[in-house]
Amino acid sequence: MAAEAKAAVPGGPADAGRPGRRGRSGRGGRPAPVGHARERSDRRLGYLLVAPVLILLLAVTAYPLVYNIWNSFHFDNLSYGNLPHKWVGVQNYTAMFKSSQWVSALERTVIFTVVTIVLDVVIALGLALMMHRKFRGRGFLRAAVLVPWAVPTVVSAMLWKTMFDPRSGFVDYFLAAFHPAWASLSWLGASVDRSWIAIFVADSWKNIPFVAIILLAGLQVIPNDVYEAARIDGANWWQSFRRVTLPMLRPALSVALIFRTLQALLVFDVIYIMTGGGPGNSTQTLSFLSFQTFITSTDFGEGGAMSLMLVVLALAVSFVYVRAFRPQT
Amino acid sequence: MGSSSSIRQSRGRAGMTALSIAVAAFTAITAAACSSSSSSTNATPGSSSSSSGSGAGGSQTIVFAESGLGTEGQQTQKAITAFEAANPNIKVTIQVLSSDSTQYLATLEHDFITGSSTPDVFESDVTYPAKFAQAGWVMPLTSFNVDSSQYFPHEVAAGTFNNTLYAMPWFDNPEGLYYRTDLIKTPPTSPAQVVSDAQAALKADKSLKEGLAFEAAKYEGAITSFLTVDSAFGGTLDPTSVNTPGNVAALGWLHDAIYKYHIAPTAVTGWQEGQVQSEFSSGYAAFSINYPFVEAQPAAAAVKGHIGYIPFPAGTGGTPGSALGGEMLAINAKSAHAQAAWKLIQYLCSAPVEVARAIATGDPPSLPSAYTQQLYSAAPYFQDVKTLNNYSAPRPVNPNYLQVSADLQTLFSAVYANSSSSAASQAFAAANSAIASDASKTPGA
Repeated sequence: MAAEAKAAVPGGPADAGRPGRRGRSGRGGRPAPVGHARERSDRRLGYLLVAPVLILLLAVTAYPLVYNIWNSFHFDNLSYGNLPHKWVGVQNYTAMFKSSQWVSALERTVIFTVVTIVLDVVIALGLALMMHRKFRGRGFLRAAVLVPWAVPTVVSAMLWKTMFDPRSGFVDYFLAAFHPAWASLSWLGASVDRSWIAIFVADSWKNIPFVAIILLAGLQVIPNDVYEAARIDGANWWQSFRRVTLPMLRPALSVALIFRTLQALLVFDVIYIMTGGGPGNSTQTLSFLSFQTFITSTDFGEGGAMSLMLVVLALAVSFVYVRAFRPQT
Repeated sequence: MGSSSSIRQSRGRAGMTALSIAVAAFTAITAAACSSSSSSTNATPGSSSSSSGSGAGGSQTIVFAESGLGTEGQQTQKAITAFEAANPNIKVTIQVLSSDSTQYLATLEHDFITGSSTPDVFESDVTYPAKFAQAGWVMPLTSFNVDSSQYFPHEVAAGTFNNTLYAMPWFDNPEGLYYRTDLIKTPPTSPAQVVSDAQAALKADKSLKEGLAFEAAKYEGAITSFLTVDSAFGGTLDPTSVNTPGNVAALGWLHDAIYKYHIAPTAVTGWQEGQVQSEFSSGYAAFSINYPFVEAQPAAAAVKGHIGYIPFPAGTGGTPGSALGGEMLAINAKSAHAQAAWKLIQYLCSAPVEVARAIATGDPPSLPSAYTQQLYSAAPYFQDVKTLNNYSAPRPVNPNYLQVSADLQTLFSAVYANSSSSAASQAFAAANSAIASDASKTPGA
């Protein structure tokens, strides 16, 4: 802001040491060759600086994406290598939209995303508020709480699969203390509801710390003066939380929401490990279905259409978040 | 201002220099990667100058992809060493792929899709040959004048697609019914007797946790455990029409074992063969449906020496049941060393080598002639395995089998999670046309 204000004053301090501007004024408005060359050189330097990253991004992101789009309009089943890679128009998309399996997977993915985000944010906010308070061992707790997030998802999913095992897991052992019938509950594979509960527990266990740490960072930059002012104005804890904490937590919250929503929309590994999409197809999400179409059916045409829809969905959600959390001027 | 300008210029030059170095380094790395990649690609097709090609003196190196780890891997290495000694002109490089079947298949497919000539020889699950043959990735074995009649016919059938043999039986894993001979004095002769024996055993021995353990997790094993039971009820697994009374009765029986007879816990819905083996070997199950490897595993004292292994007993209108598992060997259609690859397959699938492997690893031979006194002396349970091999039914030989398998896994998994008594019949009726469509799909046509 300050820099912009300075630059807005012609001949002001912001112009100091700018040969281009000096040159322009010195030559009656005509661009000075020396300054112009410098600007070109600076621009070129800028382009060159970003070039390696840009090339890398194009190679690993843009190229696969464009190739995937291309594939999605073709017949491309690798199990039929002898058949031509022919143009089929929107046939793969039509097949996908007509597929009840895809529609169900979309519904499940959206529901999973909403539930897991609500769970994560509510619990993580509580955790962050707690860790924001001063108490003995706070530093240790802040470090320890990150451990689940540092564990790879595949490992944490395997861990929870074992914990939910009715024979060797601790969950049934723990629940047996409350009710004898809960001593041998089968969580994965035998019940749709219990399978989802197990997935939510495993997913939240891993991701809540991440959200909590982001929110904690957001809490730490809220000045105490604001709380002080609210207190002087007679605000109680809840009013102060609603009117001060939450609004000032918006930037941190938006970051956490964008990250977690995209992760949840693309959820795959925890489901692949814990339920394999079962019982039946009841825990199959879009990414899982896309994986099956690519890997099991080796259908890169329809698989391409499915994964592109995921990209579109992710972009749409990101756009909505960015609009919703745009800084208010 | 002048100094500021010169600093900027100097910084600019320094920046440009640093940038030039960075760009040059990046370009060099990329170029090196490309050149390395292209050179390795060039080397792969088995050209004469490559490591996999013919060297001086006509020697050649072939690549053998397999999934064996531990004892199996060691035994393969031992056999390869002996093969190389017997064939000094052929060197074999073993490429150990993932033991996870999905990952294993994906790696092989990537090689085939890119047109790689390696691996020259590869291990294939009994369900892959039809798919590989349809895709043109595997070499027909017709030119090698194979005498397939020497092998168990069910596994030969699994390697045959459109009347052409594409894969050789390497070892043959029939799935059957295990029972505790100390608890069940005479082997059951009907599915109903399995239920009554299991219930009686549960009453008699309080250390048992279940009467029957079987694979009901959502994975391929759920299909083989179903197939083990299927023919006993007169069922056959034809994917173009799965909704048959026999199939409904077989799945219904497994479902009822959980919800009606209460001889199997709901926990089976998460069990694969490892957990099933663990339950049986630990002495927690009176019966279990599993592969021959169970007999070679350490067992609790109560179980040791009290293991019976039989085809699943037939019900009315059925025949004793067993499902075919096992591994085959095939040659990459793009291999530049087909003759050498075939020599290796012949060697690995010969009786003495299969016997040595069976004794060391428990992998049952695919040759009936390999079931010799020598083998029985080392591991008497192979007598049971040979009997089971006479009944073992292959899974559908279909190029779309993996899709069919995914459909069936979903169907079975849904049924095992549904306590309704009509779950099996409803599921088969609902999925019949979708499975038939996936089985007969000829995309792009």
